[in-house]
Amino acid sequence: MSTLPSTMHAMQSWMQEALAFPQSTSSQQLEQLLEPSSRLSGTQRLAIYQRSYYLRLLKCMREQFPALCHALGEELFNDFAYQYLQALPSVSYTLYELGRRFPGYLEANRPDAGQPDEQRESWVDFMVDLARYEFQLFAMFDAPGHEGKPFASVDTADNRLLLQPCFALGNYRFPVAWYYHEVRKRNDAGFPHLERSPVALVRKDYLTHTFPLSIPEYTFLLALEANQNIETALEMVAGKLELPMNQVSSSWSKPNGIRARWITAGFFITAD
Amino acid sequence: MPEITKQAGLGLGLGLRNTHFEYILSEWPAVDWFEAISENFMDSGGRPRRVIQEVAERYPLVLHGVSMSIGSTDPLNFDYLAKLKALADELQPVWVSDHLCWTGVLGVNSHDLLPVPLTEESFSHVAERVRQVQDFLERPLVLENPSTYITFSQSNITEPDFLRQLSNETGCKLLLDVNNVYVTCFNADADPVAYLESFPSENVVQIHLAGHQHCGTHIIDTHDGPVCSDVWELFRLAWSHCNAPATLLEWDGNIPAFQECHTELLKAREYMDANGMPLPDRAGQAVSTGSVPNPLDFLVPEVMNNTVLEQV
Ligand SMILES: [Fe+2]
Repeated sequence: MSTLPSTMHAMQSWMQEALAFPQSTSSQQLEQLLEPSSRLSGTQRLAIYQRSYYLRLLKCMREQFPALCHALGEELFNDFAYQYLQALPSVSYTLYELGRRFPGYLEANRPDAGQPDEQRESWVDFMVDLARYEFQLFAMFDAPGHEGKPFASVDTADNRLLLQPCFALGNYRFPVAWYYHEVRKRNDAGFPHLERSPVALVRKDYLTHTFPLSIPEYTFLLALEANQNIETALEMVAGKLELPMNQVSSSWSKPNGIRARWITAGFFITAD
Repeated sequence: MPEITKQAGLGLGLGLRNTHFEYILSEWPAVDWFEAISENFMDSGGRPRRVIQEVAERYPLVLHGVSMSIGSTDPLNFDYLAKLKALADELQPVWVSDHLCWTGVLGVNSHDLLPVPLTEESFSHVAERVRQVQDFLERPLVLENPSTYITFSQSNITEPDFLRQLSNETGCKLLLDVNNVYVTCFNADADPVAYLESFPSENVVQIHLAGHQHCGTHIIDTHDGPVCSDVWELFRLAWSHCNAPATLLEWDGNIPAFQECHTELLKAREYMDANGMPLPDRAGQAVSTGSVPNPLDFLVPEVMNNTVLEQV
């Protein structure tokens, strides 16, 4: 039989283990550490904490990943999230971080992890990408942004355009943004087909907008994110995709072209 | 360290909840003050930060935390405390509070308010940490009695005595949650009136009220409904012992419209006057299944309604 935890630290370590892994506790030990009430044994009283530990955290996970929960169904979602919380419990003072490691956990623990790439299940890729997209939206909801300050205008020179702080790129294997917003509209969207889906996410007036992108647009924004220079980014697109530079420049700067649309949409702020 | 002197007259307040933001910003309701969950705003760069700034401009505000983990044997998290201090410096709350509890150990956060064994050892440990936190924040800390479901065999100090000594030795103030008194006492076969009679009321600056779920063999602290009549009676007693403490209603699960929360809060007036008659009791509905203590999901913002998919 194991010895009773004697210090405060040992007691807390024991109790935390008992919450996350209820089967780890010996009831004999438990009855020595905890007093019964007139109605419940020490074991039954501890079980109130044990039950609520996962119920409360799973509810938060469902709120951070509503579309993934819809896609998997609540029962299967809870199974994955439960395993995740056991393997990677919260280590932050804030619940906002609770789901941060979930997409990576799903990828690392996919049921077909041992298979070669071509034999892997595409639905798992969809789940992982959807989780990534959902956490990105969740994080951008409350990330530092540019609300209340001036954005760039169409008259701002190219060399003064900077991507705004609440901006992100995603490159998904499925149209996860479409799926997410179908769930939001309460449409019963089916499992989408494989379709490379690059997107830009931009928060303006506290609304996060998702812009589906073409491959050249995505390549351009990726380059811009890395070096914050429009001219260099345009050259990189032309070089990488073997397009004539004048064609690339024109689709950027023509009237109602990409530049005008993205400036209006709040992609850019002005460098000092 | 500045003294807390403003509690008298703070009046009847409500917990600030995400679901009420729109209503508050458009109606500016006549509630006396708000209590905001510190962790929901300390990292905020989005709309919540904007909302709390506007609320703080118009109403007295108290910051109430759930992750300080004052009773943990892990080292104090000074990164967390620095963010709390920055938030307090920005918003100038009337005070900053948390719970007599631990939330995790070995770097893990259970996000639950776990009970501390009440012993000489834990007292010295908690008292030293309260001093460190107060020195760091440069303001007094206010600590709340948690709702508890277990009793440690080794505990040999009562919770009121523990909190009295803590308050006397460190200068911290107390938040008396009368619903937690009711829950904890029922679960431990203790008398809530005796608990209140022995509570150091002279150090109480704030009172919490909330609803709970009675499960027959035990009570869980769900904060998901109106205050039951027994808890209102405890409030009457607590109020009569304390010096006009700021009084706040917590409603965290199945949160109704703002006006309904406010109406429930205003029932407190009937119990603050020795001659007042209480309004009819609306509590005591059936226990809903899947109820959990201290629900967390109200702490997670509903993001889905703040996103837009643009056309290609
Ligand atoms: Fe409380």
